[in-house]
Amino acid sequence: MRSSVSYILSHAPGESVMSHPDYSQHAQHHACLLVLVKGIGGMLKNFNKLWDRIQKVNNIKVTDSAGQVRDIWVRYVRDYPVENNDWGDFQTHRRLLGLITLSKFTNQVELNEVCRVHESLKVKYINTLYDSRAFMFGPVSNMKKPEQEPENYSLFEDDKVFRDGSTSDKTSMPSEQSDSLSSSESFPHSVSSNASCPVQEENFTTPSNFKTHAMFYGENDPVPDLEQNVADLINSLFWVVESKRLERSREKLEKVSLLLAPFEKKDFVGLDMESRNNKKRCMGRVTKNLADLTLQAGLVAESLSLYHNSAEILKSVNDWLWLAAAKEGLCAASAILLYPNLRNSEPLQRNASLQECSPNKTKSLSLFHPNMEPFRKYKTTSSSPLRSSKASSPVNPPSELTPSSSDSVESSSRQSETDNCDTESLASSSDIEYQSQKSFLSPDLPSIPRQPPSQLQNQYLLNGEDIAEKYRKAIIHYSKYQNAGIIETEACFKAARIAVEQNNSLHASSFLQNVIFINLTLSEQEKIQRFDTLAELYKEIGFLRKAAFCQRLAATRQVSPNNPNPDWQRCYYLMLDSFPGHKLSLDPNYVIQHQVGWPALQIQLLQELVVAARRMGNPALATRHMTFLLQTMWPHLSRQEHRDLAIQLQALSAQCEGGPVPLVLPTGAVVPPASLSHVPQCSSFTPRPPPPPRAPHLVKLKTQQGPFIFTPIHFGTLERKAKKDEGKMEYLWVEDDICEVQMKLTNPLPFELKVSNMRLLTSGIVFESIPETIILAPDTPTTVNLHGTPKEVGELQILGYSTHTLGVKSNCRLKTMPMPNKFPALYTIEVIPSLPTITIETTVSSAGSMSLSSLENVGSTTNITLHNGESTECYMKITNTSNVTIEYLDIAIQSNMDSQLQSKIFQYSNGDIQAQLPIAPNETATINMKLYGEADFLDLGGVGGENLFPNSLTSNYPSRVGSPVPNTQTSLPTQSSNPQTSLSSGLMPNRTSGSFRSTNSHTTSWSAPISVMPPSRGRQIETQVIIRYSGGAGKEMHCRQSTLQINLELLPSVSITHWDVLPAEIPSQLYLVLDVTNLTSEEMDFHYAPSKHILIESKESCRIPVPLDRCPFNATSNKTDDDLLESKSLSTGTSSNSLELMCSEHITNNVDLRWHLLQSDINGKASVKGITLSQAMMDIVRMSPLNWEVSVNKQCIKPQDEYSCSAGECLSLGVAVWNHLTRPLHKLCLSVQFYQDYNNGVLCYKLDNRVATAGSNKVVLSTLAESAKAYHECTVVFLTPGEYKIDIQCSTTEPILDDVIIRDPDNQPIIQPCTGEVSHVWRFIPPVAISVTD
Amino acid sequence: MLASGRHQDIFVDSVYTTMAVCVAVIGKDNSPLYIGGIGNDTSTDNELSRQWLVHTALDALEERLTTTNNNTSGSNSNTTRTDMRDLYLGLLYSTDTHKIYGYVTNTRIKLVLVTSSTSPSGSNIRDAEVRTALRRLHALYADAICNPFHLPGDQITSQKFDKQVKNLMLNNV
Repeated sequence: MRSSVSYILSHAPGESVMSHPDYSQHAQHHACLLVLVKGIGGMLKNFNKLWDRIQKVNNIKVTDSAGQVRDIWVRYVRDYPVENNDWGDFQTHRRLLGLITLSKFTNQVELNEVCRVHESLKVKYINTLYDSRAFMFGPVSNMKKPEQEPENYSLFEDDKVFRDGSTSDKTSMPSEQSDSLSSSESFPHSVSSNASCPVQEENFTTPSNFKTHAMFYGENDPVPDLEQNVADLINSLFWVVESKRLERSREKLEKVSLLLAPFEKKDFVGLDMESRNNKKRCMGRVTKNLADLTLQAGLVAESLSLYHNSAEILKSVNDWLWLAAAKEGLCAASAILLYPNLRNSEPLQRNASLQECSPNKTKSLSLFHPNMEPFRKYKTTSSSPLRSSKASSPVNPPSELTPSSSDSVESSSRQSETDNCDTESLASSSDIEYQSQKSFLSPDLPSIPRQPPSQLQNQYLLNGEDIAEKYRKAIIHYSKYQNAGIIETEACFKAARIAVEQNNSLHASSFLQNVIFINLTLSEQEKIQRFDTLAELYKEIGFLRKAAFCQRLAATRQVSPNNPNPDWQRCYYLMLDSFPGHKLSLDPNYVIQHQVGWPALQIQLLQELVVAARRMGNPALATRHMTFLLQTMWPHLSRQEHRDLAIQLQALSAQCEGGPVPLVLPTGAVVPPASLSHVPQCSSFTPRPPPPPRAPHLVKLKTQQGPFIFTPIHFGTLERKAKKDEGKMEYLWVEDDICEVQMKLTNPLPFELKVSNMRLLTSGIVFESIPETIILAPDTPTTVNLHGTPKEVGELQILGYSTHTLGVKSNCRLKTMPMPNKFPALYTIEVIPSLPTITIETTVSSAGSMSLSSLENVGSTTNITLHNGESTECYMKITNTSNVTIEYLDIAIQSNMDSQLQSKIFQYSNGDIQAQLPIAPNETATINMKLYGEADFLDLGGVGGENLFPNSLTSNYPSRVGSPVPNTQTSLPTQSSNPQTSLSSGLMPNRTSGSFRSTNSHTTSWSAPISVMPPSRGRQIETQVIIRYSGGAGKEMHCRQSTLQINLELLPSVSITHWDVLPAEIPSQLYLVLDVTNLTSEEMDFHYAPSKHILIESKESCRIPVPLDRCPFNATSNKTDDDLLESKSLSTGTSSNSLELMCSEHITNNVDLRWHLLQSDINGKASVKGITLSQAMMDIVRMSPLNWEVSVNKQCIKPQDEYSCSAGECLSLGVAVWNHLTRPLHKLCLSVQFYQDYNNGVLCYKLDNRVATAGSNKVVLSTLAESAKAYHECTVVFLTPGEYKIDIQCSTTEPILDDVIIRDPDNQPIIQPCTGEVSHVWRFIPPVAISVTD
Repeated sequence: MLASGRHQDIFVDSVYTTMAVCVAVIGKDNSPLYIGGIGNDTSTDNELSRQWLVHTALDALEERLTTTNNNTSGSNSNTTRTDMRDLYLGLLYSTDTHKIYGYVTNTRIKLVLVTSSTSPSGSNIRDAEVRTALRRLHALYADAICNPFHLPGDQITSQKFDKQVKNLMLNNV
């Protein structure tokens, strides 16, 4: 954009060059009157407030002599270099026209000084100053206005021409004053009246040379008439400007003198001023000057044509500098007309965000406008054509009209304006409406300069595109002059601001870019300011990266070695401001998540930021930023850089430790905490379930839902939903119990890293974390366990962990953990009320030595050895080691045995346990458990061996019929499982899992074999005693579970290999004959009857008779065992099984076998449980249902008696039968048979020629009622001598069923010949033996 | 610099005598995919300063892209023209020492070429040359990402690409 024609008319620098650029200039400032506001003397407390109030008075309306309303704008500055004042001829808005001083004094001396300073300021700007005001703030509130001479306008003689006008305005003011003052909201009338007629308290007098319009107030006075006075000043300034304008406009163009820019002065020395060229030059410049004045005087439209004319003239004489100025003026005037927003929102437009704020928000106050009412009337009448042209109703009140018209102007000029702006202005217009009803301040609210449409269509008015183009040309022209560098710079900024307003970012950026090329000799501070302003404008057009670049340059300039007074603080803030441009945020999590921007640049910036923070003396910030750098840029740093930065961080944090708290900057910005989650790196983080003895269990086991344990089909969404809860842990933690989280940490730095104070971060319930300190070797993954104790019941969320390393405290949250480790955002763990803990100590009584104490509930093992049939006691001492009373205790035993055998081996009293509850803390309870070496003592003498039948003593029948009972039992489920399997598989043919159920049923039968293990072998029984206990608040739901392992070894003691039964001497008794083998290695004393015992050597076998009562017939098997029931139900229709069982049970219960090992003094029992009996044996075992009374020759025969008679003798044999059953018997066949026993197992029944009988030897009794008696008698004659025996038996063809009771109404005993088959036979035992002699 | 009296205008194609000192490939999310530079690694010419240069050019580049789009949507008359829009964006901005040219592929991959204004050789680089160089760079880039093992969006680490790009920069001198 710069001109290629270089410095046509410029001189070497060093002359009067404008050297202080004003970067904040806007195009609209061309139309402003420049007023300096200065605070002098002591610092005023409310100076800034007053300054703001003054700034608001930036626009007044003055009615000129022609009755036209002039819109006068003012620009207030706090400081203004005099050099710039010298450019006032070149561009009149650079002239400082007014001076306002705000001064504080406490005594006369200070007052004098203040007055002197004021006067000296006046002298300083004497060339341009038109008027001044001094606001003096004295020590007392109601200051009397010191005597002073009237203001002297001697400096400006020409003013006097217009004094009339100004005074006339002034005189008109008082009439309005009362009105306006009363309307001013907050200021009480009394104060203003006091100010006007102050009470004399102290007398201060201003020095005689102080010739300024001064106002006096107390320091804390509200200064109600400040605005009024300022407006007054502006009013007076306007008239001067207006006079200047008129004067200039009336000049004869041929006679004007040449106006010069400051550096041009030498250029024209000796030139012929009368040449045609120079004449034109003069004319052009004067026209341009007039245009400036016109613009300032509020005649924007008029200025347009003047600028245009001057540009035409100047162009013809190649006066580039002034041509540029004329073009710039044209642009400025056009911009003012096109973009009224520019000047309206300007005072508030401190930053870009407020740019769109409604123009109406900056209201000029009513009271500064003299002749307000007439003005309003005038305005309404004069602007009616405008309104009609804008198609808005003329009856609209002006307050409403104005915003809408401004809207239309705005929208016509700025097409790119967003809807947002419209609504904003709409809202504000309604706001104004509201106000208009409330106060009469409203009429003067409209301050938007509205140009008649004719002016908007001014032929010289430039459109948006043209403004940029003209500005570009102007800048190119400026660039030809080295001395106009600052003018050019300012022009660039002004053009850029217009481009911003036009929303044309590319234009704006090209103007801004040009600024960099302008070579100026600037102070360091001004260079910084230049970059600062550039950055600000770049930001406004959204070029954040550019802005950031400029800010960083500005920041580096702040502290460059060239800078005499480096300012690290400003450097720091500039760098901080450039964060958005580098796509950085102060929040490390945001940066990590988004990972945008250029890492190399971000690292550079952050490193510089750390240095700046350190140098500006804020080590906390330095530490924070260094932590941030390490945390966010970790993936982009090399290993060497990791190391270097870590060491730097350590050094920084030595000065100020980093903590996880947000830092608040003095600017109000908050620097959020940065955590080091890369140092150390965490690769796994898992909360651990409590160790098994401390793990809580549900008191009530969950009932199985549905028949299926497993199904591959997931029904519905229920389960899927449950899976989503990733961080929810399945297990529970217990209050007041130590809990554990396992982490795997790696130190990525090449030196040893000390991480101290590692804790868990939790939320939810109170959790007491136990700090942990570890030292990590480089690059070695280390497992670390963090512990803590929940202190409340409820849900605990584990959010992460905190560390303290490299001098920085970090809170590493799981959800912000860096990739690639993916953790759930948090772990949720349910904490249940605290539960008791116990220790168990086990003592086994018999062994005595076996005492194992289980500490800390770790499942311990107790080993016990028992012989079969031996019993012992086991004491479990349970100590409550917690602070919670145990209120619930339950023992369950789990083993590889079936439950029945188990309950026989382990016997304990539940009531006894419950009676000891509750167990208070540190109290002890003892559980007594009896152990019995239950075994099956009956041995088959080798399973599957041939020798199934023991030597039968008397009977031909095997002592064991079929398989032993337990075997039958085991075989039964197996048989029955087949239909079950087929049933279940038939139900669900597709399910492979269908067999699970039946398999389960198998397992019970499979577990059975241990019970039938031959007693000759030792058995190992592994048992777990599960002690479930609970207490405290959560006892209803949860309990703890301790497991006690008991390994029981059962050694063989005795076994019964064979057995049989023999009738005893008395019919009510019998002998059970047993073959007993001592399987121990010691001699055994075997007791088998109350007074009988036998010594059996080791591994020896003995046969012993055990006398027993016969099984009473009517000892009905009411006490039905499960076994019985089962077998009974399965035995179909035969009573034999149940009878056999009954007999077997009778024997088992009545046989009391005890053994005693002599050497080791061990006592034990044996039993014949499960003994099987054949039918014949049963008949012996059982008490006969029929009672016999056999008499020979009327003599009763006793058992074992031998009766003798001689051959041929007639014997009368009487047989009486009583029915002892509870029911009648039917179809009984009573028979008497004679036979000879050869005593070699051969019985001879063929006694046809040896015995003769008279009377029937066989009678049939149709019915024998209960307790009834049948008697039969016959006579017998033995023909030859010999040993005879009589077999008396009673048989029935009717099946005998215990259950079936057959009642016959006919109770008469009827003897009928027995014809049917014999189904059951009772014998008179022993058979009557008769020895017949000759 | 100013003493040489050059004529500068952004909107006029420049005729400056520089060599390419830096070439950058920037992803559509404005992340740097490749930055290659040649030249003396003096303090002003090092990798970091090159990154600053290219990074700062992104603003102007993006702005230009959005304005192009606006034109497309705004006026139908321009549609045909903008459809055939040149991928070459021209000079983005210039500094005292460098000029930065931009080029955008249809997939919004930005190619940036930086030439030095203070080249000692003084040979002129015409706009057309820059355009050709950027087109060649585009072709090289397309070749590089044809690598089936290259993940789009990752930094380009291909040595061949690097070598070819360096060649390209030297050839332009």
